[in-house]
Amino acid sequence: MEHPKESGISRRELLRRSAGAAAGLSVAGVLTGCENTTTPIGAETAAGATSGAAAELVVPKPLGPAGLPLPRPDNSVTWAITDENKPIADGVQPEAGPLRIFNYADYIDPTTVKKFQKQFNTKVQIATYNSADEAVAKLASRAVEFDLIMGLSGSNIVNLIAQKLLKPLNHSYLPNLEKNIWPELADPFYDRGAHYTVPYVVWMDGIGWRNDKVAQDVAAMDVPWDIFWEAQAYRGKVGILDDRRDALSMPMQRSAMHKGVRPDLNTEDAALIQQAQRDLSELGAICNPKVTITDYQTLPEGKTVLHHSWSGDLLGAAFYYMPKGVPPTVLSFWGPESNGVVQNDFFCMGRTSKSPALAHEFINFFLDEKNAYNNFVNYTGYTPPQKNIDADALIKAGAIPKSLQQAVVRPDQFAANQELLQLSVKGQRLWDDAWSKFKAG
Amino acid sequence: MGGSRWTWRLLALPGVVWLSLFFLVAFYAVVAVAFGNQDTLSQPVPFWNPLDWNVGYVWATLKNVWHGGPFLTVSLRTIEFVAIAVLLSLVIGYPVAYFTARHAGRWKGVVLLALILPLWINYLMRMLAWINLLAPDGIGTDVLHAVGIEKLFISLGLLDQAGGWLSGQSTTVILALVYGYIPFFILPLFVAIDRIDQRQIEAARDLGASPLSAFLRVTLPLSVPGILAGAVLISLPMFGDYYTADLVSASTRTNMIGNQIDEFMRQGSEKVTGAALTLLLSAFLLILMFYYLRTTRQAGTSAQTT
Repeated sequence: MEHPKESGISRRELLRRSAGAAAGLSVAGVLTGCENTTTPIGAETAAGATSGAAAELVVPKPLGPAGLPLPRPDNSVTWAITDENKPIADGVQPEAGPLRIFNYADYIDPTTVKKFQKQFNTKVQIATYNSADEAVAKLASRAVEFDLIMGLSGSNIVNLIAQKLLKPLNHSYLPNLEKNIWPELADPFYDRGAHYTVPYVVWMDGIGWRNDKVAQDVAAMDVPWDIFWEAQAYRGKVGILDDRRDALSMPMQRSAMHKGVRPDLNTEDAALIQQAQRDLSELGAICNPKVTITDYQTLPEGKTVLHHSWSGDLLGAAFYYMPKGVPPTVLSFWGPESNGVVQNDFFCMGRTSKSPALAHEFINFFLDEKNAYNNFVNYTGYTPPQKNIDADALIKAGAIPKSLQQAVVRPDQFAANQELLQLSVKGQRLWDDAWSKFKAG
Repeated sequence: MGGSRWTWRLLALPGVVWLSLFFLVAFYAVVAVAFGNQDTLSQPVPFWNPLDWNVGYVWATLKNVWHGGPFLTVSLRTIEFVAIAVLLSLVIGYPVAYFTARHAGRWKGVVLLALILPLWINYLMRMLAWINLLAPDGIGTDVLHAVGIEKLFISLGLLDQAGGWLSGQSTTVILALVYGYIPFFILPLFVAIDRIDQRQIEAARDLGASPLSAFLRVTLPLSVPGILAGAVLISLPMFGDYYTADLVSASTRTNMIGNQIDEFMRQGSEKVTGAALTLLLSAFLLILMFYYLRTTRQAGTSAQTT
């Protein structure tokens, strides 16, 4: 497959040449070669991937880069394992290392990593990135090489596959996958057969609040999301997640809950996206929300009292950020049972990994129940999708207060909610434009 | 003479190379991205050859401003915030610069040191300190409440509620901008006032001008280049600033154009639009710079003729 960038250059060259020929290579002719378009290079090719005759026989689905399918729960994708990029053979001894990992900052427990280093007599080197976009761009530049990449999700997999950045996995090294991981994530719709990815942690979007400062019982409301539109009393102490997809999908969930319907949180319907933006913008007059992702700090400190939150941040807040004298029981979390947002991210192997057997061992090590539990409770606050780690056990062990029971995602809850997934170029721009409008205030 | 000319040129060479590499090349990269396109992975594809340039994104950005879209909203807000912040810097900074230059005497060095001292601490650290001071239970909030400033601001409609300095207030963002940048305003202004020939003021007084009249007719006009230099020096970074609003407010109602650019560049699918917006901001700042250069040149010419 040709790299989209390469196809763009040849297309531009073609335009310039044809314009030049028509005008006899005059200055005017060259100037007509200048484009006036906001259509990304290669988008036409992707959109036209289905042939004319076939297109008439199917309801078209949005396509991703290079015409690759966009995975959805009702449109699962099995990424092929090609002859030129095969998994490693069975029974290879772990390499000496070092194991080079690319991950978000502070997203893995150093103590558990040290334990791995000791057990396998190796060194682990972790380089960090700040956003999935940045990570994919750096990997795509091929200027950096990693054995293992962590923290990317189903919304990035099409890009990773399209750019041939991943090496397939050999499950004979990963017995803990089948043994410990929720079945639906051991064989996820975005990567059937887990050919290239293995889940790391799960979380959900919900409402985090200070139950000692917010009068309403948010979880008991018919539509808990309404609390943001009734938050006049908490003006200036309300927060919305600073993430376009999470934030705009919140009013979509609220609207659907009122109507008793299931929303499509990966919609590319311009009217629905614009309506979500208008609804979200209403909050400016009601409670002037902060748009941040620092709820894990501001809720414990009381600088915000009501926040649109990721479940893992509330658990992290309870584990680490409570000021002296403030018990974690003042924090509450509500997340929808269905039709809301759940997410998971994964481990995947760099295509040019120099320590592939060791990388497999690392994945399997973190899929071990005890190691996953330590990584969760002692550091990240984000739930591993382990069969035997659930809220009841954590409450019983005194690890979390009962008010945060819902911040530990259950497998049935995960299945009944939706993941925010990659959109087509056109769809992505609709969300981005709506977000830009909201952020302009 | 010829040899000396070449020596100076040679000495200027490293500076020119440095500027070329770290400013012109970087700036041209932004231009190439803004007049380029992106691929289906939403990664920018710069068009380096001007003959290939694609005006689509710049044109769409201009249309957004023209049709009153979000870019116009943030642009107008940015101009408002920066204008007020520069004006406040003038009102607060001029007396300080005037005092330091004319009346500080042997304390001049100490006052100057006190002005520069905050710059030893990283800008972000200073802002983070204010976040703690202005928190609802912060010491700064308590002091502002005790001395009646909080009440005054609420009665003037400049603050929503008691203790709400960090709850998405335009006032806080503007004051934070002033706090962050005012030393850069005062220093060139101090130099301009310090360089005014004392005899000109004495001459005005001898000819019967009152102290106020001498200030208005002699000192103030002669310090205009310093005011302009200070204004340019602080308004340029203020126009591109995004972290101040992010740190002390984080509300969409106080977002500046820098926040929009940051938003496009950091995540999402429209990095080329971010580059186009950067280019438009640069063009606007270039107009301001030309005005400044023209004014200071005219001032220089008239000073030479008088």
